[in-house]
Amino acid sequence: MMTPPGIAPRIVLSKIGLDGHDRGIRIVARGLRDAGFHVIYAGIWQSPEAVVQAALDEDAGWLGISLLSGAHMTLVPRVLELLRTRGLDNVGVIIGGIIPNDDATKLTELGVKGIFGPGTSVPQIVDFLRTSAKSAEPADLVQRFVQKDRRALSRLLTLAARGELPEAVLRETRASVNNGGPRTSRTVALSGSGGVGKSSLIGRLVEFLRSLGQTVAVLCCDPESPLTGGALLGDRVRISKPAEDMGLFIRSLPARAGQQGIAEHLDVMMELLQLFGFQTVILETVGAGQGDTAVYGLADALVVLLQPETGDELQWEKAGLLEVADVVVVHKADLPGADATFSQVHELLNLPGSRAVPVLKVSAAKRAGLQELWDTLQGVPQRSQRDAR
Amino acid sequence: MAAPGSAAQTTQPLASVPDRAEPATTVSGVPIDPLYTECNLEPLDGRRETQLGEPGCYPFTRGIHPTMYRGRLWTVRQFAGFGTPKQTNERFHFLLKQGQTGLSTAFDLPTLMGLDSDSPRALGEVGRLGVAVDTVDDIRELFQGIDLEKISVSMTINSPAIVIMAFFLVHAEESGFDWRKLRGTIQNDILKEFHAQNEFVFPPEPSVRLVVDLIEFCTEHVPQWNTVSISGYHIREAGSTAVQELAMTLADGMHYVEQCLARGLPVDSFAPRLSFFFNAHNDLFEEIAKYRAARSLWADLMRNRYGAREESSLKLRFHAQTAGCSLQDRQPEVNLMRVAYQALAAVLGGCQSLHTNSMDETLSLPSEHAVTLAVRTQQVLAYETGVPNTVDPLGGSYFVETLTEQMRREAEAYFEKIQSRGGMIRAIETGFFRREIAESAFAWQQAVDTRQKIVVGMNAFEESEEKPCDLHEVDPTVEQEQVEKLQSLRERRNATDWQAVLDELRRVAAENRNVLPALLQAARARATVGEIMDALADVFGRYAPGGESG
Ligand SMILES: Nc1nc2c(ncn2[C@@H]2O[C@H](COP(=O)(O)OP(=O)(O)O)[C@@H](O)[C@H]2O)c(=O)[nH]1
Ligand SMILES: [Mg+2]
Repeated sequence: MMTPPGIAPRIVLSKIGLDGHDRGIRIVARGLRDAGFHVIYAGIWQSPEAVVQAALDEDAGWLGISLLSGAHMTLVPRVLELLRTRGLDNVGVIIGGIIPNDDATKLTELGVKGIFGPGTSVPQIVDFLRTSAKSAEPADLVQRFVQKDRRALSRLLTLAARGELPEAVLRETRASVNNGGPRTSRTVALSGSGGVGKSSLIGRLVEFLRSLGQTVAVLCCDPESPLTGGALLGDRVRISKPAEDMGLFIRSLPARAGQQGIAEHLDVMMELLQLFGFQTVILETVGAGQGDTAVYGLADALVVLLQPETGDELQWEKAGLLEVADVVVVHKADLPGADATFSQVHELLNLPGSRAVPVLKVSAAKRAGLQELWDTLQGVPQRSQRDAR
Repeated sequence: MAAPGSAAQTTQPLASVPDRAEPATTVSGVPIDPLYTECNLEPLDGRRETQLGEPGCYPFTRGIHPTMYRGRLWTVRQFAGFGTPKQTNERFHFLLKQGQTGLSTAFDLPTLMGLDSDSPRALGEVGRLGVAVDTVDDIRELFQGIDLEKISVSMTINSPAIVIMAFFLVHAEESGFDWRKLRGTIQNDILKEFHAQNEFVFPPEPSVRLVVDLIEFCTEHVPQWNTVSISGYHIREAGSTAVQELAMTLADGMHYVEQCLARGLPVDSFAPRLSFFFNAHNDLFEEIAKYRAARSLWADLMRNRYGAREESSLKLRFHAQTAGCSLQDRQPEVNLMRVAYQALAAVLGGCQSLHTNSMDETLSLPSEHAVTLAVRTQQVLAYETGVPNTVDPLGGSYFVETLTEQMRREAEAYFEKIQSRGGMIRAIETGFFRREIAESAFAWQQAVDTRQKIVVGMNAFEESEEKPCDLHEVDPTVEQEQVEKLQSLRERRNATDWQAVLDELRRVAAENRNVLPALLQAARARATVGEIMDALADVFGRYAPGGESG
């Protein structure tokens, strides 16, 4: 079946092994985005296990691997093998790099769909991906979801993201998982301007929570081009490690322009992740501005990140995003000016008579303030309880 | 020529062809005028003395020696390394027999990333793109039968540079060579790894501290050694323009100088042993201008910003390598021509040593036949073309002087840009260099995809039938052999020795003292590259690739 019109194909791009020459893969990533693809860039130094997990969790139709190290005959067969054992035969693998003819023949026999050498143009790759056939939709999604089949979760999330998950299916899933029992998982949303360090901080939080043995799911939003419908989704790189970790689930989501920095149908996706059993679900918005308050209400706690400012006056106003924040983080606290920004924010938010909002200094770079942030987040009541009050 | 398409069109007389429709630009996209005259040099008036000067004199635009290649030809230095140390040693002896005058070592990826050959992450990569080195014994095998007081040796390694340097010094010591007579270069340039090549282990700051540790130690104990090869090569390979290559490289150099000064080293003690490494790309005149601008910018910086007084501190010496990224896998023999013109640019630009790529390098490690042709390319240039007969033959050319001046100005503007982003380390952390390079790389690819730029055999003048080249095969048993050797060493050596030595290394690293003496101890105790790098990572932490994808 060809990709239905209007639905951008999803491709994970990554480099496996030790070679870090990423000129080619970055060009391809951009070129595919401009051609309307949703490109999930998973970075360099990845293990075969990690890229296969990325393809699984991202529900990607394609997995593009670049390697110039000459280790392709060791690493690529391992990727294909893992895809098979995880039941991901439907993921089409393409390879970019220096692959001698004999090796190319062998890799094609093993199941690699396309091999692109150094002289390949981006349009050639686009044409190839557009014309290659994709396999059919899997069946029994709910039943497999209940049996903790990650592929079913991944596909249900895709359907939810497109708004194609029937309400009945969601209800059925809900009923078969918890029979209406109380929810034990927590949800957190992080918002703030682009570049403030949301993904980096989520990466640290994940590290922290995983070290406590908690399972975590992350939904990251990045902008989708209003012109081509393409998107280059790069948050994953800052959050994941190069090795496999089934206790961590990351899904990258394109957010349309005019949606206040979040993808649509996030409520359903967050619920699915909780139903699947992830103990903490974290949401990252696209770089948001002060007026982008739509994220409010999606999670138990809304964390708004600010960074040290160089000007004298705090650029943020209380109205808007800060007004609905449950916790405000002055991030990049390792940078000069953090203390000044901290005092200003504190003053702005904690005027006598107003709702007290915790303000914390955190640095992802220095791994500072994570414990305190987590403790504070746990003090924020679950949204359902708050709504009931 | 009209838009290329078939070889037949080239039989038209050039004069009858009208101006090409698209504007003429360099490989870096810089527009070029149809004619340069005296008028173009006006901006230089009054500054000609200071900007051009005589060869061998400040600011060295025309070359660092008064006689240049009349006195001594450049060094033919081909990068080589693959498989086990023994195999590379054989290639070294072969190259010396071919008339090569210096050696240059390529290490495999696990070694470059500070991993042992038996690390799970090294699987499939041992001995593949270079030689595998785990311990000082491997360095001994690598340089077996080579007189290190006579032959200069270059080692291309960065994050673990100081570890390999310690191995090299211990090998020299154990073989009875005098450290003060060792000549060679270690790349030891970590900054460009963060900008372009992604072979780093520790965060930027401790990484630079190791660079300075090596400089400090060698300045005192190995005085003829080139302590850093500040490299633009990889920045260019990652897709930068010529000006970006120039500016980022010199900015890296400035950062090392500043860190050495902060360490308390007098500028004239270490500056003479800083060396450079540039790309030799396709655009002949742009490349020549780049090298000439580099020399005068560096001389100016060293004298006027850092207060160097010794002439040797002001001279920018550089190695050049032809552009790997310009090579094509289709019609690979055509690469011979590309390499020849690129080599010409490097020599007209006054390089001190040169590596010419082999035509089959996009396909595999070079075969002996291809390596020989690459060396011959330099020999034809040196002995048949007459190019070395006079110093800076293009000096005073309206075009070349204009381009040189333009390069200088643009590079200086780039230095400002880096400053305004909070300096070198901040600019790295916020992905400034990577974004700049990625932009240029993308622009180039688009120009090729739309045929605004022509690549012979790739988007024009294609041939349907491809003749396969004779390729060098990597021996599949290398990995196993290297791993077995390493594991037998692990069993043989005295466990308490090397562990105590590594504890000492951690202490020294944490206390901000120079780690090289502790590394010499570690090398003598037969600690491995991976063990040593892990010990350092315990103190410094590891740096994750940024992954700025925009
Ligand atoms: N100094 C400092 N820089 C940080 C920190 N966290 C992230 N950064 C940098 O900030 C930039 C943006 O980070 P990213 O996580 O992508 O931000 P996002 O757009 O909000 O997701 C990157 O260059 C990071 O290296 C921190 O704690 N301190
Ligand atoms: Mg982000």
